[in-house]
Amino acid sequence: MNTIYKLTIAEMKMFVRNKQALFFTLFMPLFIMLIFGYIGFDKPPVIDVGLVTYKPNAPTQQFIDQIKSFPTFKIHEGTLEEEQKLLNDGDLSIILAVPDYLIPTAPVLPEEKQSIIAYENAGQAGQAQTVVSILNQFNTAAAIKKANVELPFTVVERAVNVNNLRYIDFLLPGLIALSIMQMSVFSVAFVFTQYKEKGVLKRILATPMKPIQFVVSNGITRLFISLLQATIFIGLGLLLFKVHLVGSLLLVFLCVLLGAAMFLGLGFTISGLAKTTESVPAIANIVVFPMMFLGGTFFAVSNMPAWLQVIAKVLPLTFFSTALRDVMTKGSGFGDIWMDLVGMLVWGAILITLATVTFRFQERDSG
Amino acid sequence: MSSIITVTDLTKKYGDFTAVGGISFSVEKGETFGILGPNGAGKTTTLEMMEGLKTPTSGEIILDGKNVAKESDAVKSVIGVQLQASTFFEGLNLVELIDIFAAMYGTEANAMKLLEEVELTDKAKSQVKELSGGQKQRLSIAIGLVNDPKVLFLDEPTTGLDPQARRHLWELVKSIKAKGTTVIITTHYMDEAEVLCDRIAIMDGGKIIQLDTPDNLIKKLLATGFSKPVLQQQANLEDVFLKMTGHALRD
Repeated sequence: MNTIYKLTIAEMKMFVRNKQALFFTLFMPLFIMLIFGYIGFDKPPVIDVGLVTYKPNAPTQQFIDQIKSFPTFKIHEGTLEEEQKLLNDGDLSIILAVPDYLIPTAPVLPEEKQSIIAYENAGQAGQAQTVVSILNQFNTAAAIKKANVELPFTVVERAVNVNNLRYIDFLLPGLIALSIMQMSVFSVAFVFTQYKEKGVLKRILATPMKPIQFVVSNGITRLFISLLQATIFIGLGLLLFKVHLVGSLLLVFLCVLLGAAMFLGLGFTISGLAKTTESVPAIANIVVFPMMFLGGTFFAVSNMPAWLQVIAKVLPLTFFSTALRDVMTKGSGFGDIWMDLVGMLVWGAILITLATVTFRFQERDSG
Repeated sequence: MSSIITVTDLTKKYGDFTAVGGISFSVEKGETFGILGPNGAGKTTTLEMMEGLKTPTSGEIILDGKNVAKESDAVKSVIGVQLQASTFFEGLNLVELIDIFAAMYGTEANAMKLLEEVELTDKAKSQVKELSGGQKQRLSIAIGLVNDPKVLFLDEPTTGLDPQARRHLWELVKSIKAKGTTVIITTHYMDEAEVLCDRIAIMDGGKIIQLDTPDNLIKKLLATGFSKPVLQQQANLEDVFLKMTGHALRD
């Protein structure tokens, strides 16, 4: 026990002094969190509108000012030629050419009625349609006012905050799972392949220590690091983005330990398969890279095509990120996520078994 | 003197290839025993079987009264090992490294005292990657001494070192022997074997073809009528090199 304790302390020192490992386990995922957190996918999208006006009369000018004040419109003013060039370049969704007497000061004959000409970007039809329907609403509202009639009904809006998740709330648990996967897989696969390649494991075998003691102390170190990662991410998420955190932290940490243990098994399997340090990234990425996108980190698995969901749902990372997300954002308890926990346990058992089969301290002595 | 190691009929086969073919010898307590031979002669395989790192195909090794194959942990506790190609953990300084190896032996070591023995006290806070080749070998030996071993195994400890560093390492090996530690050493350098070893086993093709003291081996050869052109020079190029560059260590 004393040996494992001393080894674990030494392993911790090695881990935190390894700048490359720190970069990939902490700084890169934090960087991703900051970028996605500050980009703000949740703000309503801005529509680029080209506005062409000449010498509008007073009521038309009033109408134009109203359009300009609309928060979702980003207005570019210019001549028709200038705006059309922008539209052709794809920089605008729609151009509105407003005639000077759009809203007449005195009643006019129907054939003298003026129109807004809307040039629409066919490639951004959705945005263009939004603008057109907003204009039509203006029109209807003005007509109703003019006709001085009662509206048949009104709609009263009440904002109710029903666990409204922002993207950062969705992302954070996935990012924690992803970074723990990266840490567990790569820190073990690289370090142990290097130990094997450079004869460190052989030197350790020449001591009376049991190899399992060495493996266990390395495992404990990385489990501890995974808890540290989760704590830092949650802390910064709360501090910088006030993320939604409703579940039990204890259950979060249980998921973290299970997930890390599962991926440590994968890390040892890879270092068992890799002959040289150079082959580690190749082997590891075959497994890890697809999971980065299919494991429910950046996109919800439920948004994927059905055939892909079949695969995505049973990936180790998916069980891990789903469990974390349910606990953190929905406050799910042990009873709600037990399926994911079982999924992780099964994967953990498979991967650790694979590790004990493939990973050897020494090349098999065929004597 | 009594034997500390007895090797009987030791054989190691890899499929059809016989790396070590039924060798027997014994090593006396406190002596420095050299194993010489060309590459592929079976030196390292023999050493690694004695260290408990490889399992013999047949034969027996008794070290300090213990059967290496059956009580390998007990044997590993009383031997020190310097492997041919062994690097150590990155991210630890020399003191931490010695402490961690001591922990693997379930003991504690006086790291500074060990570093002093191998003259690396000024590098105590450095990492392995900052050491020169000779310093790395000295560290390797210091780590081999953490458990205060009865037998120290050195596998080609001076390969790749410059003449100054080699001589420095010889002095270190002599001082270890002077403390009563039995030393088993493999080498390609005959001068090294002559300076350090009490007895030498010459291996070739997995067999021991000669085993005696360096003096006796030379006498036996001369007795066969061997002679080589007598050199009039009383010095060689290495003497010139050391005269010009001095004996002081460069790392």
